[in-house]
Amino acid sequence: MKFSLFSVAVKNLKRKSFRTAVLIVSIGLLVSILVFGASFILSVGSSIEKASNRLGADLLVVPSGAVDVASDVLLASKIKVFYMDKDIIQKVEKVKGVGKLTWETYLASAPGQCCSIPPAEIVAFNQKTDFIVTPWLRKSLHRKLKRNEALIGYTSNKNLGLLNVDSTMFNIKFKFVGVLEKTGTGLDNAIFISDKDLKNIITSSSMAKVKPNQISAIFVKVRKGYDPKIVARDIMNDIMQVDVIQRANIGKRMLSTLGDINKIFLITIVMASVLSIFLTWTIFSAIVNERFREIGIMKAIGAKGSHIVKLFVMEVLLLGLIGSLAGTAFGMYLSALLSKSFVLLRNLSATLTLAQRVDICVLGLVVGVGICIVGALSSIIRIKKLEPLSVLKEV
Amino acid sequence: MEQIVLQELAKDYILEGSRITAVQEVSLEIRKGDFICIVGHSGSGKTTLLSMVGCILKPSSGKVFFEGTDVYSLGEEALSEYRARKVGYVFQFASLLPALTAKENLLLPTLFSGMNGNGSSSAEKKATDYLELVGLKDKVNAYPGQLSGGQQRRVAIARALMNDPSAILADEPTGDLDEETEGEVMNLFRKINRENNITFILVTHSSELANIADRKIKMLHGLAEEIVTVA
Repeated sequence: MKFSLFSVAVKNLKRKSFRTAVLIVSIGLLVSILVFGASFILSVGSSIEKASNRLGADLLVVPSGAVDVASDVLLASKIKVFYMDKDIIQKVEKVKGVGKLTWETYLASAPGQCCSIPPAEIVAFNQKTDFIVTPWLRKSLHRKLKRNEALIGYTSNKNLGLLNVDSTMFNIKFKFVGVLEKTGTGLDNAIFISDKDLKNIITSSSMAKVKPNQISAIFVKVRKGYDPKIVARDIMNDIMQVDVIQRANIGKRMLSTLGDINKIFLITIVMASVLSIFLTWTIFSAIVNERFREIGIMKAIGAKGSHIVKLFVMEVLLLGLIGSLAGTAFGMYLSALLSKSFVLLRNLSATLTLAQRVDICVLGLVVGVGICIVGALSSIIRIKKLEPLSVLKEV
Repeated sequence: MEQIVLQELAKDYILEGSRITAVQEVSLEIRKGDFICIVGHSGSGKTTLLSMVGCILKPSSGKVFFEGTDVYSLGEEALSEYRARKVGYVFQFASLLPALTAKENLLLPTLFSGMNGNGSSSAEKKATDYLELVGLKDKVNAYPGQLSGGQQRRVAIARALMNDPSAILADEPTGDLDEETEGEVMNLFRKINRENNITFILVTHSSELANIADRKIKMLHGLAEEIVTVA
């Protein structure tokens, strides 16, 4: 390496390798918490938003009190069931502003009792009216489902590999004939049957808790020119037994939970940052005290105050950069590794865009380097004011 | 013509509330190429006087003219530049930077003076040449920790020469060296002084060593007195 202030800074850091490593690790850990936290919050937040947009309906009509449960099923792939009377479909159709609508009925598979498949949400949909499932099926199955045929969600197929395999659900043998494309919603983890097969299931198995005149949810597209908010209000005013969720509000509870997690991450990051600033300040104060003689010597042989400051700033920046880069890489690795361990992430199609990843990396670098500079600032200012001989005499 | 002129140079310190006078109104004229030794007991003000001449300690009163420039009227940056280009300083203690090799320690002053600009290999060659001059050609890449006290001192002397200074100031440069090495270092100083016409101002408490000087200044309680002038 060419001899320069930079090479001197590198050599100074190398000389005290343990202390350098401690600082790098502490900055790295802080940045990794930040990167992991930001990745978690961003991916969950954007996944919920994307998933609710991908459902394809403006309004979701569910039994009264089932708003959160429905969100869990549709966004977080939770296996839950809820029912309301089927005649509500006609009531909803009559509300002004309601355009297309379709409905689904949910069943929970019970392995070992009724079903040969692992636990899964079974969705019975109406093939004539459906606009929720079919758009995701066009590429893989170009026809309607026949009797005792089923579809499988993208993730379920990936995990279970059931395509073209015969499986028993509620004592009826089904064949999986198609796989849905990745939707980024709870549909990825479900199994789909036609509502004609649902009738057979109800008659042949007592395990299915649903009655023939029940459904779980109605998906509504609002007519052009109508405000979804007003249509939702009208449906709720007209039909007492239901709640209506607007597309924008699907996953609201999850987002508010996310807000709490966000706060926890923020508090952790602030505390870790303060700790890192304190650590950097302590270490750099010690470094300056320890190198008083060196600073004095450098000044006596012609170093300007700016040379000494530059040298220390380079050391600080190097530490900050290395720590931040390591922390960013570790944070990204951690979020990839732990994404499957967090229920919230596992059940969502939580992926970050390249731009989001870049933003997070830049944030990590800025925070890591910034903390190093803030921590070392007082020491650097102190160096600038030192007179050569006074420094040498203090040793 | 005088190269360095000290005009009523004085330095006071405040120590535990009392004023201590380290140097009292010293006036001195030093010609280019002079070899001067400042002798005196510990605490007599030798190092303080040398530090003021070397632009590393601001006097309480009086002036230092270096080649006609009142150095302490210069700003901080200009003073640093002066130190880098005009003066070579050899300290009384091991003064090498431990993280740098012998050669890198020599390159340091050139880095500060800007003479190492664009990473010219001439500075590197010069450093190697000076290390050869002080007999350390084989220690170019050695770290201070791998050198003996005498070798470190010689590296420090070579470093003082790197920017081709007009004057070399050395504070007890042979203080912790054995007799043989001490002789070698003094002979080296004399050789450089004669061959390059560089002014030398040495602080020592050894009257015997001071005998090689052209002029001897004795410090006593902060007062300077020229006691011998060798023709």
